[in-house]
Amino acid sequence: MSNYTKKQVSDLVKGTLDWETVHLMLSMPKDKDRYKLYMEVLQENVSYDDKILLAVGPHLNIVESAKDQEIIIKCDCGHEFGHYSKNWKLGALIYVRDSVEKMKEVYPELMAPDTSWQVYREYYCPSCGIMHDVEAPTPWYPVMHDIEPDLKTFFEWLEMPAPAKI
Amino acid sequence: MNDLTNPVEVLGIDAGGTMTDTFFVRADGTFVVGKAQSDVDEANAVLTSSADALAHWDKTPEEVFPQMVTCVFSGTAMLNRVVGRKGLRTGLIVSKGFEDFHRMGRAIQCYLGYAFEDRLHLNTHRYDEPLAHIHDTRGVTERVDSKGGVVIPVRLHEAREAARELIEQGCKAIVISFLSSYLNGTHERAVRDVCLEVAKEMGVKIPVFASVDYYPVRKETHRTNTTLLEAYAAEPSRAILANLSDRMKDIGAKYDVRVMASHGGTISWKAKELARTLVSGPIGGVMGSRYLAEQLGYENVACSDIGGTSFDMALIVKGKVSMHQDGDMARLVLSLPLVSMDTIGAGAGSFVRIDPYSNSLKLGPDSAGYRVGTCWPAGGVDTVSVTDCHIILGYLNPDNFLGGILELDVPRARQCVKDQIADPLGMSLEDAAAGVIELLDLSLRQHLRAMISAKGYSPSDFVCFSYGGGGPVHAYGYTMGLGFKETIVPAWAAGFSAFGCATADFEYRYDKSTDIGITKDSTTADKQEAVDTLGAAWKELADKVMEEFKINGFTEDDVTLTPGYRMQYLGQLNDLEMNSPLTQIGTPEDWDKLVATFDETYARVYADAARSPELGFGVTAAIMRGSVETKKPSIPSEPDAGPNPPAEAITGTRPFYYGRKWVDAKLYKMENLLPGNRVTGPAVIESDATTYVVPTGFETWLDGHRLFHLIEVE
Ligand SMILES: [Zn+2]
Repeated sequence: MSNYTKKQVSDLVKGTLDWETVHLMLSMPKDKDRYKLYMEVLQENVSYDDKILLAVGPHLNIVESAKDQEIIIKCDCGHEFGHYSKNWKLGALIYVRDSVEKMKEVYPELMAPDTSWQVYREYYCPSCGIMHDVEAPTPWYPVMHDIEPDLKTFFEWLEMPAPAKI
Repeated sequence: MNDLTNPVEVLGIDAGGTMTDTFFVRADGTFVVGKAQSDVDEANAVLTSSADALAHWDKTPEEVFPQMVTCVFSGTAMLNRVVGRKGLRTGLIVSKGFEDFHRMGRAIQCYLGYAFEDRLHLNTHRYDEPLAHIHDTRGVTERVDSKGGVVIPVRLHEAREAARELIEQGCKAIVISFLSSYLNGTHERAVRDVCLEVAKEMGVKIPVFASVDYYPVRKETHRTNTTLLEAYAAEPSRAILANLSDRMKDIGAKYDVRVMASHGGTISWKAKELARTLVSGPIGGVMGSRYLAEQLGYENVACSDIGGTSFDMALIVKGKVSMHQDGDMARLVLSLPLVSMDTIGAGAGSFVRIDPYSNSLKLGPDSAGYRVGTCWPAGGVDTVSVTDCHIILGYLNPDNFLGGILELDVPRARQCVKDQIADPLGMSLEDAAAGVIELLDLSLRQHLRAMISAKGYSPSDFVCFSYGGGGPVHAYGYTMGLGFKETIVPAWAAGFSAFGCATADFEYRYDKSTDIGITKDSTTADKQEAVDTLGAAWKELADKVMEEFKINGFTEDDVTLTPGYRMQYLGQLNDLEMNSPLTQIGTPEDWDKLVATFDETYARVYADAARSPELGFGVTAAIMRGSVETKKPSIPSEPDAGPNPPAEAITGTRPFYYGRKWVDAKLYKMENLLPGNRVTGPAVIESDATTYVVPTGFETWLDGHRLFHLIEVE
């Protein structure tokens, strides 16, 4: 087992950690401190006080709400998407690229998919406008629910006390 | 004997990342090994190491260098330059529309050289930086088809513009690599001349490399990588070797320095194609094994070399070393013939950790390398390494580690092994450390067995040679129970790669892809054409070989040319390499002789029944090797002095943990043992450069050639 510093975990999150260290981190069993350091780094990057439990996107976290201890999904800006067991995308602003014209804004002509086969669905925060996710499904496909974490088991694995309202 | 009748004739150099070894041999085969810490200035390290070696004979480099006749160098500097991407900034000109193929690379390059688990898992796959940056890449309109025909003539005004831009941007060399250029090199050569012209007009002097002049072979990623290495990595090495050569000449050397190359021969440092010396150290050991085997009459040898970070294995079958046509090195696919070797990333310096999920020991994949382990606080390592376990258990002498140049802290190592390994596993300190060594030995043993059986052989057909810094420590462990005919540890194991370099031929080898196919429906005229094509390729390659030898002042009378070819049954994927039964070819009957040789070789390598002559025969490559006579080290030959070691060889005892208990191992000084002496385990035979461990259940005897034979007695 290895030990990494908070600086290294912070660089990992920022994407500036050197490849040799990243490679070792990927190949080796996780160090005991990693979750704690990772959450500390994430917490320092947001302005709210609610405790971060898990990241679901670069600017989207599952947190324990400071006001009522509910477990919710929250944008870095503070916007709340609701209970973590629900699909946060249903509360996002959605932009669908479903025509040649809209595709041309992101890819050169003839290098984008045929929109009768595949569309892009972009999900934005209603408060700050940051893009949280992009899906590339067939046009009729339902909104995808990417992650439904089993937080109870997760905290058992971590051998840490779980938040009350899981 | 005096200096006149027994001069020092041969020098082999192995300039590794940490240590620079030198190996001097006298005419009668007696030798000395020297060590020095490697230096940015390689010439310094070589001279320091030489002084260290020659001090054993009370000599200095100034006295000895003028009498020497041969010097062979191998080193890791070029490889490190590639791995660290610290080469010469090189511009790349390719067929227009294919500017990205070099940086995309072959998919295999994203996991080459990785441990097995990391090959399987996509998240660890990664593409290294390309050798030439995309901003230093230009496309020129042109196209040659797969038969060598010109489809689009080359637009030279584009080449002119490209060359000017690349030079203005700061490129210090230009490489040209077009599609299918191995079939028709006119476009590449025309662009090469334009680049040279432009450079001249701009008043700069830069080298220009057309792939067809160097590696006229199929597979453009391989060919482009290899030609790029010529510019990117080999040119800087040439300057370093020139410096080494000058420094040696300053103190009276009269020989030309040669460099070990991937094909197993040595070439001059002045050679046009120097990239083939990229990997040389481990190949030196294989060549040394082949030479020893040939001199002493061993037909089949399993070569094993264990260093601090890796375990390298190779097989010699019926005196022959097998070759890879497209070797890979430094995670790059290359068009270089390479001595076949299997390498695993576990060595004497591997780190040891506990896997928290399975609560079991895990070795590597990283290693302490020159930082040794927790036993050397100055190295700054706080993770336990295999070396720590060896120190704790009495395998290695902490007071004379690497000849005593490092001061070790054994209590610290004991504490680290206790905290990190023994306590979590609930074992005693000794059993935990012994478990680490057993695990490493088991893993090496499995790889050695797998390599031999994968090629269809059994260990009982082989003699195992064990060398490298860690070989003699582990030889008993990784050969135990495998059933080798014999296990042999040369007394000069630590300098064996340097020795091996000195035994290699002065030999150039050039390859050229060919597309020749003859079926049972082919006519005599077709065979004539096939023979003419192969003959012309041999002629072209022979000219290249001669061109190289002329640089060193040899004439055609000095050079022995050996033509070869790679042949396959048409439609099969694998081809076989062999020497031609004929030195000249010219008639359709000659074709039948080439085919007969292939048929016999195929039956020997695979099986008689696997032969498929009904498919027809193809020649995929022409090969030409040329060599000249060189002075090689003699193998020492000393008289038998009986089984009992002399008093001056016996140096005491040391507590040694083996088989779950502490025992007193007898200690011997390796240099003072005499031929015929027998030593029964538990014993540790020590010299400055290496430690040879003979545990309970083993015995060893030294023969007249200073080779130790290790025997399992139970
Ligand atoms: Zn937001």
